[in-house]
Amino acid sequence: MNYLVDRIAGVGAYALGVLRAAFELWMVFVGTIAGIWRLYGRRGATRPPGALVEQMHVIGNRSLLFIVVTVGFIGMVMIYQACLQFSRSVGDLSQIGVQFARLIVSDLGPTLTSMMLATRVGAGIAAEIGSMKVTEQVDALRMSGVLPIDYLLVPRFLASIVMTMVLSILGAAIMYGAGGLTAYLSFGVNPRVFYDLAMVEPRHLGLGLLKAFCYGAAIPIVSGFCGLRARGSSEGVGWATTAAVVGSSFAVIALDFMLSVGALWLFGGDV
Amino acid sequence: MSPGAAAPLIEFREVHKAFDGKPVLRGMNLTVGKGEILFIIGTSGVGKSVTIKHLVGFLRIDTGEIWFDGKRVDQLDEKGFYAVRRRVGMVFQNATLFDSMTLAENVALPLRKHKKLRHTSALAEAMGRLEQVYLTGFSDRYPAELSDGMRTRAALARTLTMDPEVVLFDEPTTGLDPVNARRIDRLILELSRNLGVTAVVVSHDLASIFSIADRVAFLYQGRVHAVGTPAELRDSPDPIVQQFIQGQSSGPMETPGF
Amino acid sequence: MIGERAINAVGTRAVAVSREIGGITILFAQILRALLPPRLDGRELVKNLHKMGNRSVPIVALTAFFTGGLMVVQAAPFVQRLQATSLAGWAAGYAVLREVGPILIALMFSGRVGANNTAELGTMTVTEQLDGLRALAIDPIRYLIVPRVVAMMVMLVCLTCIGDLIALAGAMLVAKGVLDIEFGIMYASFVENLSPADFLHGIYKSIAFGLSIAVTSCYFGVTVRGGAVGVGRAVNAAVVAAAVSIMLLDFFLTYLNV
Repeated sequence: MNYLVDRIAGVGAYALGVLRAAFELWMVFVGTIAGIWRLYGRRGATRPPGALVEQMHVIGNRSLLFIVVTVGFIGMVMIYQACLQFSRSVGDLSQIGVQFARLIVSDLGPTLTSMMLATRVGAGIAAEIGSMKVTEQVDALRMSGVLPIDYLLVPRFLASIVMTMVLSILGAAIMYGAGGLTAYLSFGVNPRVFYDLAMVEPRHLGLGLLKAFCYGAAIPIVSGFCGLRARGSSEGVGWATTAAVVGSSFAVIALDFMLSVGALWLFGGDV
Repeated sequence: MSPGAAAPLIEFREVHKAFDGKPVLRGMNLTVGKGEILFIIGTSGVGKSVTIKHLVGFLRIDTGEIWFDGKRVDQLDEKGFYAVRRRVGMVFQNATLFDSMTLAENVALPLRKHKKLRHTSALAEAMGRLEQVYLTGFSDRYPAELSDGMRTRAALARTLTMDPEVVLFDEPTTGLDPVNARRIDRLILELSRNLGVTAVVVSHDLASIFSIADRVAFLYQGRVHAVGTPAELRDSPDPIVQQFIQGQSSGPMETPGF
Repeated sequence: MIGERAINAVGTRAVAVSREIGGITILFAQILRALLPPRLDGRELVKNLHKMGNRSVPIVALTAFFTGGLMVVQAAPFVQRLQATSLAGWAAGYAVLREVGPILIALMFSGRVGANNTAELGTMTVTEQLDGLRALAIDPIRYLIVPRVVAMMVMLVCLTCIGDLIALAGAMLVAKGVLDIEFGIMYASFVENLSPADFLHGIYKSIAFGLSIAVTSCYFGVTVRGGAVGVGRAVNAAVVAAAVSIMLLDFFLTYLNV
């Protein structure tokens, strides 16, 4: 009986913890949006000088090689597997490129690029903010009258949205290019047949960019939230970074699912 | 018991060590006799900890020789040092207990690994070892729940499970309150007098030095500047030694950045 | 000049990456050598299996469920256009078992368990607990690293098996909810079109992924320098390295078509 009560109490405490964390996450999001208004919505607000450009460099330029390598390889693998399966069952590989183009633009390009970014950028943001938190630099910011969210999170948030969209476009292009190359080299699919954008319509592009926008917004919010929750010393920073990677990767998958299902309902079978 | 310089157990000969081109040890000579309590003292960053870490192979010297019990050890590889480490235990400044284990499990680990005890019998033996360092009631606690002094004592118990001939202490009393610091001193003394263990203690705790040291080596500018019994050092006419022992902020001693 | 600076930057980066690849290779060799003879510390192995499994099952299950669902959603346009509902199970199942399942589960595992392993070993490194082990004449590679590597490989394979099942279940549920395809049709489509070879292809991959996640996460853990900041940086580097190695391995294993 006692055991049962304990278990129920444990589950309750866990649920409360999850709820509280969700609320805090939401507050970080709201705070960031408010921070954008505080910093950029009014004239004469003091903005951290150069922070936006620096973060765009850190998030975008520094991820370039990583994205090119990982997304390029996964593009090759996807096409290889698809060709393999089609050649076994249907035998006609001419449709692969057309279908693949639609899939890349509306889903694979932004989603896989952002999965990779969630790993790199998410861990980076949490490690940085977490280290500042445990070495009491965040408190020092507060002491000097600066809101930590404005100073730390707003530049990362804006930079991440811009750079995730840019890198998603790049990632999609690389995937498409690498995929076509694989189809040609391994299965002899004529590149002219493969590189056919006939199926790609504006709404596919719109959906892909919307996904990239949402991922780009979610990654710094989740990671910043994890970083700001860091406690203790080196162990706390490690925990925060781990949570950020898992949290932001999962956010990408969950958002992808929701947006894809939403688009399917909106446009019917034609997305 | 006269600390025997007659048969040196440990010998450092003209040891040089530099980090990133910055010399720390510059031709250091030191001998440690069997069974004595030797203190290595000096200002922070002078190379006290560096000296003892060479003996167990955590750092490698640039030039010179280190001898332990008639054998040269500075050229051993990591595997060769494991034999030395079974005879020379080390108690680190921040105890380095494994924080995922209770005190008893910490102490039981080397018993399990080196004496091939099963986990339960190793735990039972660990209880006895903890008793030796007056930590009887704390065997189920985790290191994070204990004070610095208790952690240092537990680390000593863990080291003693290997029945070492020499125990190296790296600043065992730094950061402890005076009461706990004197308890550590007492344990070191018991170790030396009852078990005949040689103790090399890195410290700048003057109270420890004058209560338990047999001999003191004063490190200055990468060399042993002065060595002798505590009394000899106290009566030394050397102005640098006097400045250190009396703790004066100004004097002939050259320290970087001041 | 800008060109010169860019070339310099690329060169510096290349050297750093090469050094890390070299370090990981050396660690891998050391792990292999420590496995001969295969004397594993049973307690560490069990502890790690338990911890890693506990930590990663919920997130892997959630990820797998969404992944399976996503594959159906992505296949939906073809299915509806071709009016061929029997194709949905084929497309989703094939993608899940051979590619997306093992990769996404490995990425999540790397983020949860691998990153956590780096953080733990990193904390042990900066607090000198690894040196503490060495001082007790216990080889950290044999005692700490090998059990973790084995545990991670075993765990990832188990999780991939569980995850595959959950993903297929997710695919069935979403097919019912979104495309209104009956469970029976999806099930028949799985059974008809999927072979054990597809499943095994994914499992082979997950063995390789598990090994690479384990070795990279341990490497970045034991080479941490510089306190809390260093630990954060190491975790970041570990997850990035694991992601790159997962993609590269996936590519080569797909081509070898094991």
